[in-house]
Amino acid sequence: MLIFSVFKTLTDQRVTVELKNDLSITGVLKSVDQFLNIRLDSISVLDEARHPHMMAVKNCFIRGSVVRYVQLPAEHVDTQLLEDATRREVAAQGKR
Amino acid sequence: MSFFGFERSNLEQEKKKFSEGGLQETEDLAVYTWGEESYDGLGDALLEGGDELNDETFGGTGAVGKDFDFTSQTLPTPVGTTRGRFTPTAEPFRERTPVVERTEPASKPRDRGLSPAPKSLESIWDDKSPFSMLSRAAGHQRVPSNLMKSPFPPSRSPALNAYADHRPLSQQQPISHGINQTGVRTLQEIEAEMRAAQQKRKQQEEILLQVQLQQELQREEELRRQEEFRVQELERQDLQRLQQENLLADRMRARLEQEQQLRLQQQARMSTPRVVSHLAPSPRFNQQHQHQQQILLLQQEQERQQQERLKELQERLRMEELERQLRAQQLSQLQQQQPNLLARRQSPYADTQRRTHSPVIDSQYALFNQQNTQYMPQSIQLQQRLLSEMAQVEFMRDMQGISQAEQEALRVEAMRKIMETERMEERRRRKAAKIAHMSRYNDLMTQSDKDFITRIQVSQLVTQDPYAEDFYAQVYGAILRSRLGLQSQDERVIKFGSSGGVGLGLAQKGSGRRQSAMQKMEAQVERIVNNARLREKEKGLHSLHSLQGALGKTSGRSYKAAPRQLLQVDASSATISGTHPHISKEDGNGAAQEAAKLGREALGQAAGSDGVVRKDPLTQRQTLVVLEGLYDLVLNIEQLRRDQPLEEDEEDEEAFVSWSATYNDLVEQIWMNLKVMLPLETSDPHPFVSLLTPVKGKKILPRLSRHIAPPRMLTLLTLLVACFSQLDVVKHAALLDSLEETPERQDVERQTQAFLGSVLQSILPVVAKAELRVITGLLGLLLDRTNIVISAQTRPGIAMLTLFLSRVEIVKQGMSSAQESSEIPTPAEAQQWQTMFDHLFQLLMSHFVLLFPSTRLIAQPLPVAAPLPPTDILDQPVWQFLAALALHASSDQQSILVTSLREKVLDIVTSVNKGWVADEEERQTKLSNVNLFLHALGLDSSQISV
Repeated sequence: MLIFSVFKTLTDQRVTVELKNDLSITGVLKSVDQFLNIRLDSISVLDEARHPHMMAVKNCFIRGSVVRYVQLPAEHVDTQLLEDATRREVAAQGKR
Repeated sequence: MSFFGFERSNLEQEKKKFSEGGLQETEDLAVYTWGEESYDGLGDALLEGGDELNDETFGGTGAVGKDFDFTSQTLPTPVGTTRGRFTPTAEPFRERTPVVERTEPASKPRDRGLSPAPKSLESIWDDKSPFSMLSRAAGHQRVPSNLMKSPFPPSRSPALNAYADHRPLSQQQPISHGINQTGVRTLQEIEAEMRAAQQKRKQQEEILLQVQLQQELQREEELRRQEEFRVQELERQDLQRLQQENLLADRMRARLEQEQQLRLQQQARMSTPRVVSHLAPSPRFNQQHQHQQQILLLQQEQERQQQERLKELQERLRMEELERQLRAQQLSQLQQQQPNLLARRQSPYADTQRRTHSPVIDSQYALFNQQNTQYMPQSIQLQQRLLSEMAQVEFMRDMQGISQAEQEALRVEAMRKIMETERMEERRRRKAAKIAHMSRYNDLMTQSDKDFITRIQVSQLVTQDPYAEDFYAQVYGAILRSRLGLQSQDERVIKFGSSGGVGLGLAQKGSGRRQSAMQKMEAQVERIVNNARLREKEKGLHSLHSLQGALGKTSGRSYKAAPRQLLQVDASSATISGTHPHISKEDGNGAAQEAAKLGREALGQAAGSDGVVRKDPLTQRQTLVVLEGLYDLVLNIEQLRRDQPLEEDEEDEEAFVSWSATYNDLVEQIWMNLKVMLPLETSDPHPFVSLLTPVKGKKILPRLSRHIAPPRMLTLLTLLVACFSQLDVVKHAALLDSLEETPERQDVERQTQAFLGSVLQSILPVVAKAELRVITGLLGLLLDRTNIVISAQTRPGIAMLTLFLSRVEIVKQGMSSAQESSEIPTPAEAQQWQTMFDHLFQLLMSHFVLLFPSTRLIAQPLPVAAPLPPTDILDQPVWQFLAALALHASSDQQSILVTSLREKVLDIVTSVNKGWVADEEERQTKLSNVNLFLHALGLDSSQISV
């Protein structure tokens, strides 16, 4: 749930989602759910010439399982807090 | 007769097949034969020529036997003939079939180049109704005559060609194929072939039957409505008021009627002159038909308005009625005059003039004429409205006796208005169509469907500790809020009683709509969860588990999604033997050494003079382990702080006591883990300094210091000062003076930033409250234990010294203002400080210039003419330090300061004055740097003349 939690804080920020089919979509993150399905708005695709079919698409819903990477805006991620959250998660799992 | 027999057997066969359901098994065969493989292309060849011989073959223009009557359909006047044959009664329902039939011969693409007609129409021939049976029987009767001519290849026999072509049944085609291919054949063969053809045809029919049936049903319904409609129309003509009412009713079925009217018009034109002969198909008709469905909603709206309007009209008409007693007569007259209505409509005003009718009624007549003729119910509404308005005006004009020309102008104006309105209507329709298209999938899921999905999703989100599960979002939100200065509202967690809840993440500072949506969702979730809990109690643990994973599985632990590790090492054994062995070995070694030392001490050799157990410094790994332990403690203690019970609450007295016990315990653990209390000589570097070496060690200090009591922090500070030279940032500071961009330099830079940002920040409050003698002691310690010249050439060193000097300056100011007696240091303490300061000054005296990073950088052997990095920013802390030094210095010391820095200051001032600076910003920085120092001496850069 850590990543879910992180993504929740990134709503309304511009992120780049790299898909497993090598499509890179940049857009405003509108919402994310526990499966890390992602909804993007006002999207633009990297290398539009290669993906002309995406030119008319303005928003999209991405199934979480097809995402390879998500590039986050560094200024909106608190790395120290992220470390802490990771520690907490590990601690919580240790308890289980 | 053979064909009668054939017919009968064929029927039986059909029935049998139908009852057996054998039709479906051949359904997958090709329906259309041309354009497909089974089609041999002979159909095209049939057209080749010889049509001119038709007359000859058929015996010229002489009378043809009854059997051949159907061929008359292909004669130059087929329509008239057909009409004559089939629609003498002109009953609406009956009319239907001829219409369909007529299209059949035209459907043959070979014929006259007409477009292929829908094959579905063929099934009419197979209709079991008595009406269609009649025509089918006629079709079959033709078979023998066909057979008789079969010896002639149809391609060379135009008569047969034309004959075959124009037979309305599709079965003719396969038959003619057979004829073409085999020439003379036996009756059996041909019969068999025909049977096959029959089957094939039936397959086609079967496929089309369903569509056909639907269409038929629809058509029948339409026809029924049509009849009603026509009756109503007649009634309308009889009685205007009644008609108005009917109109309202009709509009409810506007769409269906539209289609009906088209057909009605066609039929009426061709077959039934009796029926409203003035009907004229409008070009607008088709267009409207397309939009019809989409604007139904709009129509309803219109209808309502129209209704009101009509009521008004009615009212007026009633008034009129009273005045005009002749009205009934006129109505009956009207019916007789009906053929003239069209003509009258074209010049209704002339008509009005001629006659003595009420203008309103008259205009109504014109109106209804139009309705009956070219307009659709919807546009009628519009036109009616407009025309009634027009009629009103006209009425007024009439009363005033206005000329025809003016009325004509008015009429043109009205027409223009109508067109305009229609255009607007068109636009609205298009818009409605678009909306309808977009909302195609609206309400595909019902609300309960959505609720169900939400329930499953939410049930998976509910956890025992929502705060911990959603830790990042919660804390990030809190930090963000505090940074924005917002008062933190309630925690963004929905809690359900004591157990479980859902983390909501960041509070959206969005619109009110979103807020209310959130509230709604909260309420719903709460309800859902409570329901789930109730059900769980009822059913045991079944209900929730059944939903678990229904939408897919969440990876609760994110590493599960990580790629499979190549080395699959059992974690439990790894911790014992795999990863930690060297630590335990080292520990063992350490223990052995300690034991040896203890032994030596016991033997009186006194290795560590005052009983200090010397140890090896912490290894990197040990440091990290300790740090991780500290982080866990910090996280725990921070969580504990959040859960702090209210002190005032009496009931929670006990809870508070236990809470503070836990808290104190944690603080104690932290203190122990920081290893501050270990003697200075334990190791080099000291364990505490080792802990500060990694960046995360530096960064944890501010978070720890919050929980550590001030006296302990002072101890910590003392230790830090005592071990100052052991710090990595001091040891490796020389690297920063190189111009080479190396990873090591970058690392030191990063570490230095972290030290200044974290460690110094956490000791700042301690120094800020320290008394003069404490500062004196600390400075003494620093001078004593470190090479102050080296330390002062590091950024942490300069920062530390500046910190001390400024604190003393503040203390001195406090002394002069004499606020609190307790804070005023004794003269002895002041004296001690002065001694210590003199000592510091003495040590640094000959190295003042070297304190500047810029000076040290220039002193470096420059590889090439590498551009110097902007050093003014780096120099700034040094200028600050020197300014602080100057404040404390005596006049002698100040003159020494000035003498040693004279060159540096002059350099800068000269470069500024001569404009040897890149930009305004650099100039400002340089000047402010110099002024920082000069102001402390009571001077200013402007006083210096170069």
